[in-house]
Amino acid sequence: MTDQIPPETKNRFTFQTFILLLLPIILLAGVIFLFLQTGGGLDLEAPVPIENLTIERYVLTPDQIELQVQNTGPDELTIASVIINDAVMPFTVSPSATIPRLGRATIHTEYSWTTGEAYAVRVFTSNAIPFDVEIPVAFVTPEPEAKTFWGFTLIGLYVGVIPIFLGIFWLPALRTLDKKWMTFLLAVTVGLLIYLGIDTLVEAFEQTTELAGTYQGIGLIGIGAVASYLLLDMVGNMGSDDRSASSSRLSIAWRIALGIGIHNLGEGLAIGAAYNIGEISLGTFLVVGFIIQNITEGLGIIAPILKDKPSIRNLAWLGLIGGAPAIVGAWIGGFTPSPFLSVLFLAIGTGAIFQVAVEIWKMVQRDNEKQAMPVYTFNGVLVGMLMLWVTGLLIK
Amino acid sequence: MNKKLSRRDVLKLGGLGLLSAAGGVVAFNNTHALHNHPGQAETPTPETPHGHSGEDTDHQMTGHGLPGAGDVDHEANGFNPGEILYDFDYGKVSKLSNGQILREYEVVAINKNIEVVPGIEFPAWTYNGRIPGPTLRATEGDRVRIRFVNGSSHPHSMHFHGYHSGEMDGVPGTGPGGMVQPGEEFTYEFDAEPFGLHLYHCHVFPLARHIAKGLYGAFIIDPKEGRPKVDKEMVMVMHGIDIDFDDVNDFYAVNGIPFYYQNHPIQIKVGETVRIYLVNILEFDLLNSFHLHANFFQYYPTGTSLTPSHFTDTIIQGQAERGILEFTYKYPGMYMFHAHVTEFAELGWNGMFEVLP
Repeated sequence: MTDQIPPETKNRFTFQTFILLLLPIILLAGVIFLFLQTGGGLDLEAPVPIENLTIERYVLTPDQIELQVQNTGPDELTIASVIINDAVMPFTVSPSATIPRLGRATIHTEYSWTTGEAYAVRVFTSNAIPFDVEIPVAFVTPEPEAKTFWGFTLIGLYVGVIPIFLGIFWLPALRTLDKKWMTFLLAVTVGLLIYLGIDTLVEAFEQTTELAGTYQGIGLIGIGAVASYLLLDMVGNMGSDDRSASSSRLSIAWRIALGIGIHNLGEGLAIGAAYNIGEISLGTFLVVGFIIQNITEGLGIIAPILKDKPSIRNLAWLGLIGGAPAIVGAWIGGFTPSPFLSVLFLAIGTGAIFQVAVEIWKMVQRDNEKQAMPVYTFNGVLVGMLMLWVTGLLIK
Repeated sequence: MNKKLSRRDVLKLGGLGLLSAAGGVVAFNNTHALHNHPGQAETPTPETPHGHSGEDTDHQMTGHGLPGAGDVDHEANGFNPGEILYDFDYGKVSKLSNGQILREYEVVAINKNIEVVPGIEFPAWTYNGRIPGPTLRATEGDRVRIRFVNGSSHPHSMHFHGYHSGEMDGVPGTGPGGMVQPGEEFTYEFDAEPFGLHLYHCHVFPLARHIAKGLYGAFIIDPKEGRPKVDKEMVMVMHGIDIDFDDVNDFYAVNGIPFYYQNHPIQIKVGETVRIYLVNILEFDLLNSFHLHANFFQYYPTGTSLTPSHFTDTIIQGQAERGILEFTYKYPGMYMFHAHVTEFAELGWNGMFEVLP
């Protein structure tokens, strides 16, 4: 067959394919052009202008209130009026009161606010569409400087690193347990992870309410969760054939650490952001409750490797991977809060946590094949979930 | 806006304890914010005056951290509260065969976009293209004839407070004057009585919306013998502006434009006698009020008596309540007048008298 076709024909054929591939795109361009020109015969003129303004952040400095906004509507809009606590306030907008689609601007007002009080800010566009933001507790927005930096670092340490290492310190004691109890502990870890995964997912959903509609928060959660799940699954399966049982168990521990680490990064972002807007009330005793609850994360990391003798180095890294991202998260969240990043990382954390939960579940099943102990498994998963639920009760 | 506690809230709670423990709480150290008064604050020159991207800076009249909004385009609006203040429409005067004085007025309902605060247009319904509508003025016993033309796209009416027959009441169900269709007209005719300060407004359903959109005005009936002569007479119609139609007023004003008399103080002289015809046509809020600074006034509720009932500096008016104020300033200076329902003041119902020596 090929003999009968001259080489040029072959080339022409490739070119033809290219053209044929291109044809629908060219036609599409034409259709779009026509549509833009004529409206396609549809009456698409909106009776009321559709506008959307996302107030991403407020920054309070003495006698000043600043709003960082983004136009997340379909067209450009103009900021026309700013009302703070039922008072029309003069304001300036930089770079311009007219904000293009997806453009950002900073609204600046002089307002002698009082520490600890609440403020309701309403922004009217020129089409008289109101957008509200509430400042629940007013205080000077922290700025990146050594002191606050160290403060956020400490938060991250307590939130992430310390509880996880405390959990890891159980390793020597737990290693002396017999096999049944080790399987039980694995089941506990599955329970913990399921609870944590649900919690992370719910937080991701909650965060989407802060996110502009344009960013399709729910879809973003899907992408983040599915991608991290599949990615960890793929990494876990790579070269698993020529891997010893103990190294594959260690690999699961790495992945648990990673999953919890990403979860803690999301937590850190949220804590930092919450601190930034004053959504934190004082209560040092709660830190204690919090550490109790998060020790379980460390427990979860070491559960798969109880049978093995992991090096101190590996354990240190496992703890750091699981906990340290909380510090980074607190920094980012504290200084440049971004609901987008929060949603994304919480979603990634969700996928990662569920993936390792499934992975450990497989380990539990393998143990069950050798020696059936369904009661241990059942109890374990439930105990794991109840541990987080009960410690949650204690501190709420 | 209470947020329910989640696990993350616990983290947050823990977090702050630490942050403060670390001595990293900058937030609470900056208490000097408490002590600053807006007037003392240094005012940086604004880069972009709001509403109008930088073309004129006198929109920044109140750029000292004080509440207020700049000027609107009165020319485009077609009216100016500074003129409405002194604008009384006595009608076209003639004499009937029985000797009675006839006053003929013409009022047209028009849909009109009015810039109420800089950069925001309110799709108003107006009488004669202005908010409030013309201040119609007659003398007790005059025959008044108001030719009402509906030039808008909705049915409207004119409902006057005062004595008149049912078919002149401007309420749906009372005859052709109750609901004048777009493009049609109706002439309301009655004897002006009793004397006093009254008002008129549209009475077509939905009533609150028809009023809130701007269809109202003052209606003054002078007593036959007249009121004692004063140096200055003004009309002030207090109202709200619900620019986003959620049945909550977003701004408050006197004579159409919020903050107008704050930005443009009303000039009077020491010793000058001033009479204000004050009408409250506020919707959605129950009460409005008027408070005069550094002074007291004689108050004639509804203007139906020539003897004042109060000598006070603050009066309250319910919806459609009105009254006449008379006062004189002793000392020169700038004197505020505003709603002592103070939340209205910073949303526009605030003005100044500039008393010249």
